[in-house]
Amino acid sequence: MLDALSNPQILAQLTVVGLMLGALYALMAIGITFIASIMKLINWSMGEFYMIGSYVQYYLIVLLLGPGLWYLALPVSMLTVFAFGLVVQRGLLAPMFKYDEARRFEYATIVTIALSVLLQNAAIILAGPYQWSPQEYLPTRAFAGLSLNGSRLAGAIGAAVILALFYLFIRHTMVGLSFLGTAQNRLGAQTAGIRLGRVDMVAFGIGAALAAAAGALLAPVFLVYPTNGITSTVKGFEIIIIGGLGSLPGAVVAAFGLALVESFGSFLISPAYQDLYGFVFLIAFLLFRPQGLFGERERRV
Amino acid sequence: MGELLRSLRDQPLRTGLGAAVVVLLALLPLGLNGYQTQVVMLGYFWVILGISWNLLAGYTGQFSLAQHAFATIGSYASAAAVLALGLPVPGGIVVGALTAAVLGYGLGWVTLRLRGIYFAIGTWAFAESVRILLSVNYHITRGDAGLPVPFLFATPDPFPYYYVFFAVSMLALGLNAVVLRTKLGYRMRAIRDDQELAVASGVDVVKWKRVVFVISTALAGLGGGLYGHAIGLLSPNQAQFSQMAFVIIAVVLGGFRTLWGPVVGALLAQGLAEALRISQEWRFVVFAALVILVVRVYPPGIMGGLAMLAERLRGRPPRSPSVGTPVAETPIAERGGVP
Repeated sequence: MLDALSNPQILAQLTVVGLMLGALYALMAIGITFIASIMKLINWSMGEFYMIGSYVQYYLIVLLLGPGLWYLALPVSMLTVFAFGLVVQRGLLAPMFKYDEARRFEYATIVTIALSVLLQNAAIILAGPYQWSPQEYLPTRAFAGLSLNGSRLAGAIGAAVILALFYLFIRHTMVGLSFLGTAQNRLGAQTAGIRLGRVDMVAFGIGAALAAAAGALLAPVFLVYPTNGITSTVKGFEIIIIGGLGSLPGAVVAAFGLALVESFGSFLISPAYQDLYGFVFLIAFLLFRPQGLFGERERRV
Repeated sequence: MGELLRSLRDQPLRTGLGAAVVVLLALLPLGLNGYQTQVVMLGYFWVILGISWNLLAGYTGQFSLAQHAFATIGSYASAAAVLALGLPVPGGIVVGALTAAVLGYGLGWVTLRLRGIYFAIGTWAFAESVRILLSVNYHITRGDAGLPVPFLFATPDPFPYYYVFFAVSMLALGLNAVVLRTKLGYRMRAIRDDQELAVASGVDVVKWKRVVFVISTALAGLGGGLYGHAIGLLSPNQAQFSQMAFVIIAVVLGGFRTLWGPVVGALLAQGLAEALRISQEWRFVVFAALVILVVRVYPPGIMGGLAMLAERLRGRPPRSPSVGTPVAETPIAERGGVP
């Protein structure tokens, strides 16, 4: 098998497939780690935001817009989930701040796990256990001898655009900088006059919207069904540990890294084990470099 | 042990109540038909998993999300021992519990040195990997088609199974009560309440967390082994996350961090689900909503509520609940928060 890699065609194909998927993994991982860095919680219902995003996208395309306008459906789907995220944060998660740190983690974990179960089963009741797929976003193209799946290509482009916008927003607007400040030091940010309640709420909404974008963009590839968010949540969690909890660049690098490993691994070893490589890396990082690629070593009191 | 007996003697009302519940549960099958007995028997599977999780998450503060995976490991390891090695079924169940404990030791070794968030994610990813491995290696495990395993008893009658599950549940409950009053129990709660303080007081935090994790995973493995040989068919779906979610739901409803919480929560959830005669999906929607309500409005759960009620009836000023004591509204500077 290994000698097949000397074939530049195969090498390029595997790399491109990995890079395209990496952009989408990055969306999910950035969403998780952004919420984690600001609210200091892990949102276990991230996969359900992904799922809702994919359903909104699917129904918009099928009932309203038609397959050609997937890029119009995408922002609508993100906005819907953004609004839902605001409600969830305000109604269910904001009350956690009345507890101390350890209890807060417990509260957030129990509530988001329960929410995840609730949404998954509500989706089965409402939409049925069926798998749907919107039409391919773009036709499959041949480019320099490589065959590019149109939906994956469209997804990668969409993800790259969203990530670029997210970067500009975070780095170059006052609101974005206030998010970064809050992520660095909540108390300091509060002293500087930043309203933490509002920052938390919007940050949670943005994280949820990023998951929804991943769901919407991957709808034709990984299909639309009530539990379709689980796999990408697993990947997202693995990526944020590998990249370093709370680190945005770490999440991007780890997302591309994991996607490339999966792409090559499924060719060299077996596609059946594709979903296990992330776990192997996760354990390796926990053992040898628990702070992740870009995280800082924590100091204990 | 001595301390447990003393507290049993000093609180006759509580002791009497507990004994009455145990006797009631022991006599329960006399009033039930075969099907209902089967339903309650399966409820005990959740009781065992709930106790194993509460020991770890409730009393030690280590939020494991892999109890269901360790139960699944117990099931499959026991099946392997019985089918491949020809062990008798009880021997297989012991092998299942031991396998879960050994793997638990390994996973704990990797993840317990780190903060709780890493432990939660690490155990969660472990559970998903167990599920994937079981369904991918279908030439060994028969994957999603399911693996038929021999039954524990030669009879399809649910009553002997009921008493096996009942006995193991009560033993687990007793073990939990004893542990809480040993040095280990105090160390566990010290770790949960303030890990830095526990370190400063000379508790080998990582070591005792591992000990509790091994006890907890062994118990989960034992429950899983019993479950497999009571159902007769194993499936990788046992390692689905919804199973873990059900454990959390049961414990939180019954009372997180209370001795009887997992028993009350699991049997109530199982009984209620059966009485309502609603579909699996509606069950999960209703229970998940209930859990959110409990955590949001009244975190001590049923047993925590009963304890407070009892205190009030005795005319004592109510103790503040052990869960969810509010602190100042303004955020405190986070110690060792996410960077």
